[in-house]
Amino acid sequence: MAKIIVSDSPHIKGPRTTKGIMLDVIIALAPAFIAGCVFFGVKAFLVVLLSCATCVITEFVYLLICKKKFIEILKDFDFSSLVTGLLIGLTLSGETPLYIPVLAGVFAIAVVKMLFGGTGRNIVNPAIAGRVFVFIAFSSTMTSGYPDPVFGALFSDGITSGATIASGATPLTSLLDGTITLSNLDMFLGTGLAGCLGETSKVALIAGGIYLVIKRVINWKWPVIYIGVTGLIAVALNKFDFSLFLPSVLSGGLILGAIYMATDYVTSPSTDKACYIYYTAMGVLTAVLRHFTKIEVVSFAILLMNLVMPLLNFRPRAFGEPSFFDRVKQKAAERRAK
Amino acid sequence: MAKKGKTIFQPGIKIPDMKYLTEDHAIEKMPPPKTVYISMSQGAGAPAKPIVKVGDRVRKGQKIAEAQGLISSNVYSSVAGTVAGIQDIVNAMNTTVTFVIIENDFSEEEEFLPPIENLTRETIIERIREAGIVGLGGAGFPTAVKLSPPKPVEMLILNGAECEPYLTCDYRLMIEKSEEIAKGARYMAKALGVDKIKIGIEENKPKAIEIFRKMDGIEVVSLKKKYPQGSEKGLIYVCTKRKVPACKMPFDVGVVVQNVATAYAVYEAIEKDIPLYQRVLTITGKGVNNPKNLWIRIGTKTDEIIEFCSGLNKDGIKIIRGGPMMGKAMYQADGYAKKTDAGVVVLTQAETNTSKQSNCINCGRCAKACPMHLMPMKIDDYALTERYEMAGKFGVMLCLECGCCSFVCPAKRSLVQSIVLCKQKLRAKERR
Repeated sequence: MAKIIVSDSPHIKGPRTTKGIMLDVIIALAPAFIAGCVFFGVKAFLVVLLSCATCVITEFVYLLICKKKFIEILKDFDFSSLVTGLLIGLTLSGETPLYIPVLAGVFAIAVVKMLFGGTGRNIVNPAIAGRVFVFIAFSSTMTSGYPDPVFGALFSDGITSGATIASGATPLTSLLDGTITLSNLDMFLGTGLAGCLGETSKVALIAGGIYLVIKRVINWKWPVIYIGVTGLIAVALNKFDFSLFLPSVLSGGLILGAIYMATDYVTSPSTDKACYIYYTAMGVLTAVLRHFTKIEVVSFAILLMNLVMPLLNFRPRAFGEPSFFDRVKQKAAERRAK
Repeated sequence: MAKKGKTIFQPGIKIPDMKYLTEDHAIEKMPPPKTVYISMSQGAGAPAKPIVKVGDRVRKGQKIAEAQGLISSNVYSSVAGTVAGIQDIVNAMNTTVTFVIIENDFSEEEEFLPPIENLTRETIIERIREAGIVGLGGAGFPTAVKLSPPKPVEMLILNGAECEPYLTCDYRLMIEKSEEIAKGARYMAKALGVDKIKIGIEENKPKAIEIFRKMDGIEVVSLKKKYPQGSEKGLIYVCTKRKVPACKMPFDVGVVVQNVATAYAVYEAIEKDIPLYQRVLTITGKGVNNPKNLWIRIGTKTDEIIEFCSGLNKDGIKIIRGGPMMGKAMYQADGYAKKTDAGVVVLTQAETNTSKQSNCINCGRCAKACPMHLMPMKIDDYALTERYEMAGKFGVMLCLECGCCSFVCPAKRSLVQSIVLCKQKLRAKERR
């Protein structure tokens, strides 16, 4: 007889693993990465590659310093740092000086993720924290280096040049000022749109998002709620001008943030009720901050909501427990009995 | 044809049921073994006290141990022979239990209960108590106690869901002994003073659904396949849409649930005067050469049972007593068949998952799968940081230990074990 294994129940387990989920996210991000490389050239490719490499190497170095064996690290490697690297790379511009992705990656992995205990222990999304870190630390460099896209707009005559965006304004604000005239379709495809290298092509991002939904990695409700609420509040803030709904939804990093960053498991609530509150609040925050600060705030909104998340993680009502109304009724009945 | 199943039972998980291994194998009788080791702790409650001495000659169906108190059950000899010893043995759960060891002389001499003269509520309940019948679904709560609820009830629900993957013993019993089960159920209904009987059967057992649809007085509820639908509270909810309040018993909503195998045992005890000394076990899994459903005498050694199914093949690496979701893995194929066992499952490396646990990524899958709407990841966190009171506030005592959370966990965390730890600590604290 072969050797017998003894372990705890249940003895059969689902096929899903953390590694598998992270691989799915990487596959979903591939179209956006490819689109970024096509629109912004070799430099963009280098930026993403560098940020990915930095993140993975930082994790390995950190664990080696913690005296873990190399083979064990390799075995336990769950690709989450690679996802972080990809996301950081995609939220930088194609012209970023190459030390920025490196710094962002080191900060994201070493400080935000590993110091808090590794995968699943971070309190904010490491990719967003990394991006915000370099955004604040190198704000002038970060906001000046937006390259012109390789392709011009296909469906309208306008082009958002790097100079337009130099002030940190999103196409949305420029649209309000009347400085650019880019059609929604161009914004959707990412043609003729300057910006962060992974954020411009919405079609690639949404394709990846659909893949994640089909694979049941994320629930379609949450990005839809976040994006929808942001759009609606933006419309409301601009005196109910509904023509602004699509531009405000399609501009900036909203779609990337909503599909890939806001839905990050670690930093989002784990029950449905809490999720409704969380994503609605995130949408309101994004739209309001965008309206009043005139800069792209998706990452800041997500970061802020990440910090609020633990407060939302309340316990759902267990099966058979009386609901709030039942309890009120019961108390009222008791009082009457007295 | 069976009506379309209802999915009211929203949480829970879908598992490949793997019942095809044994679902078409008729129940065989396993020949009685040479020696039986009968545990005095058969099911819930206090262990029974042996009333035989070493060297005594016992007959098949003779009472060998007396129940101690209300929540306890009589134990009967499953073979005819001589008592070879009364010993304390460490059982599969790692607790020490007294065993009565009987050497079989293969005479099969019988001694059954005296026949019942007139069937009334009291005599039925008394007979069920006397025959040592316990809930054969797994919990092993004495059936007589369950049939005398402190409040009047209105309905008896038979549990034929058998939602544990792999196991088919209840399914085979429902097909082969359907008349007997129905009779047993009617006796139980009589004992309860109700005339409404429902039976909940999952859709993957279409034959059983068809058979029971033809019987009068029994309403069949066909259920969509979902684990853990066979749990008492889950079944009551899908059959009646009544929610058993937290920390309350099924009779609080006017329902008593009994397993189909229990109904069969009740039938045997009342009509044939046979006490409970055998039951159906499913021996299955890809690690066994010949998966089978077997009538097994209580006290048969597990490795003899596996041997009867042509032994383990070379891939069989994990022997589980009970179903793969809630059963216990054994260090070796010892352990002795009990009233509450439902099967022995032998898994291969491909079927079982032994990957290391990693950090929780807070994906919330466990909370979505939990049939009791708890948050296993939070409870796990509290268990590991020894904040058991907080775990209590998160409803840990309501947990069924069904294993859904651990099944879906992508980080492969041992959530059930954390919950069990919390429960034990909280109970120990209560006792103090």
